[in-house]
Amino acid sequence: MTVAGPLVRALGVARTYGEIEALAPTDLELSGGEAVALVGPNGAGKSTLLAIVAGALEPTRGTVESHVRIGWVPQRPAHYARLSVRENLELFARLEGMSDPAGTATRLIERFALPPEARPSGELSVGNRQRLNVTLSLLGDPRVLLLDEPTASLDPGQRRRVWDVVDALRDDGGAVCFATQNIDEVGERADRVVVLQNGRVVFAGPPSGFAAVEQDVFG
Amino acid sequence: MRAATIVLRKDLRVLLRSPLLLGALLAYPVVIALLVGLIAGYASSKPRVAFVDEDHLPPVVSVAGHRFHLQAVINDVAKQVTLVRIGPKEAARELADGRVVATVTVPPGFLGNLETMATSPSLVLRTGSGGLSPRVTQQMQSLVYQLNQKLQAGYIAANLRFVSLILHGGPGTFLGRHFDLLGLDGTQAELAKLPPSRRVAVIEHFVQVARVGLAQTGAALRATANPITLTQPASHGRTWVLSAQVQAYGIALTVTFLALLLAAGAAAAEKDEGTIGRLRRGLVSFGQLVWAKSALAAVVGLALGATIAIVFGLVVEIGGVTGGEPWARLPLLFVGVTLVGGVVGAAGVLLGALAREARTASLLAVLVVLPVVFLGLVPRGALALAYWVSLFLPFVHAVRWFGAALYDTSPWRTIGIETLWLVGIGLVFGLLARGALRRLAA
Repeated sequence: MTVAGPLVRALGVARTYGEIEALAPTDLELSGGEAVALVGPNGAGKSTLLAIVAGALEPTRGTVESHVRIGWVPQRPAHYARLSVRENLELFARLEGMSDPAGTATRLIERFALPPEARPSGELSVGNRQRLNVTLSLLGDPRVLLLDEPTASLDPGQRRRVWDVVDALRDDGGAVCFATQNIDEVGERADRVVVLQNGRVVFAGPPSGFAAVEQDVFG
Repeated sequence: MRAATIVLRKDLRVLLRSPLLLGALLAYPVVIALLVGLIAGYASSKPRVAFVDEDHLPPVVSVAGHRFHLQAVINDVAKQVTLVRIGPKEAARELADGRVVATVTVPPGFLGNLETMATSPSLVLRTGSGGLSPRVTQQMQSLVYQLNQKLQAGYIAANLRFVSLILHGGPGTFLGRHFDLLGLDGTQAELAKLPPSRRVAVIEHFVQVARVGLAQTGAALRATANPITLTQPASHGRTWVLSAQVQAYGIALTVTFLALLLAAGAAAAEKDEGTIGRLRRGLVSFGQLVWAKSALAAVVGLALGATIAIVFGLVVEIGGVTGGEPWARLPLLFVGVTLVGGVVGAAGVLLGALAREARTASLLAVLVVLPVVFLGLVPRGALALAYWVSLFLPFVHAVRWFGAALYDTSPWRTIGIETLWLVGIGLVFGLLARGALRRLAA
């Protein structure tokens, strides 16, 4: 299902750190029912762009317009290591203002087969922590999901489970934007590709056109 | 405030899950309270002072016609120490061992000098090297001062008896010699019997002037014997007990140190765990984050302050320290430690946000807290700049707040002023911390 009009629109967003330009002024639109892949080498500005669109980072310039809830999966798992999976989910559900934090946590734990035990989440495997990271982004039923290399540390089964969630959101009219360095994922999952290099967009178009710039970008 | 409360509850839960940190937080105030209690007890206790009588003083001595129960006088004026009467060798040994903090020796010939006043008699004071030596020296100086005051009364009375003899005549004794004196009254009577002449008139005039002058001798003698006397008026009703003063510093130091450390670590941990990015996405504002961390420091400050006050109170009560513990004032003190904890917490958030990393934040907090405390200890007269800088930091106001709460009979004015200072300092640190958190999230 496709919804007309962009759900999120970033207009000329840029970020500098002192003299260093992490992201040159960039536009990005995400429309309902599409999946956009952000591709580029390390330090290209993918995480910066996603964090700005997610509202986790203030742009030095530009604005982000959105009227829907946005879920964000940061590259590095962001949760409280001394709290259990359930406690993390309940805590962020409360902060999201959800009416039944405990019930929400139970549903998400079952859906993503997360470890239900009370041990601290910091003691979980890397894969489980990343799944918790992804699950936290789904609190509040976002219509837009921004994922920063979400499957980098997951095994094939866990990857499939994450993509199932992403596909379900997209099929339901939501928008997905994911940063990746996995070229296979671009072809399999993306409707559109945005290629960043040195903080600038060097290509934006269908996955079929990505092959032409792939060699230039990744060498 | 709902979001801040949720973050606060999370931080408390995380704190309770950190066994080492929790253990340190529980042990720290207990250890501090015990140490402070022992210091207060030691400082308030009567030190043992050896009394060596090499002149074999009799129980009662007669000085200038006055009988003194010398040991009773010494015991009376030496209430702040425990005098132990021992021999010279044992006294030297105990002083070396630290079993007595000082020895006071009455050397041979002391009583003879005292009775004849040919030369001033001396007591010999030897002190050990312990921390109480300066206090014992002062107490012994006070003892000699008070002994002199009591003896002066006798000497003045004796001198006035001689003046009375000169004025009115009669039998008297001086250095064992008995005599019978005519006196100015008798002289005037004898002069009245003589035929009037210029020479008689001159002598009569002298006698009259001498009588008037000598009549004022008593007041003059007393005034010259005590040209300056020291009186100590009550200082605004302050009970001023050492235990409360030490306690105020102990609590202020502990709360400042741990609240700063904890808040700095908690703020930087949000960066370490990557959660500050999630929180700032409309879930928790930077201002609410400052509130949450400051509230965490306030709660911990209350727990620390209460533990110290209660344990300290038990120690001083069991130890019988002078002044005891003002139990009725503890609720007021608890308000103060909560306020100070919150204000120091805001400063801690600032440090944590500047440090950007929990370990660095903890180290920075330790490095910062010591100068802050020392600045608060610098007297105004010693270094004006340090004093003025300390006014804009919470420690000195915390000490004044706690001191007033614990031992001012009318604490409200001080508490009001210090509360204003603390709230102002807290707001400034809070605003700076909010800005620094914004930078931390970038």
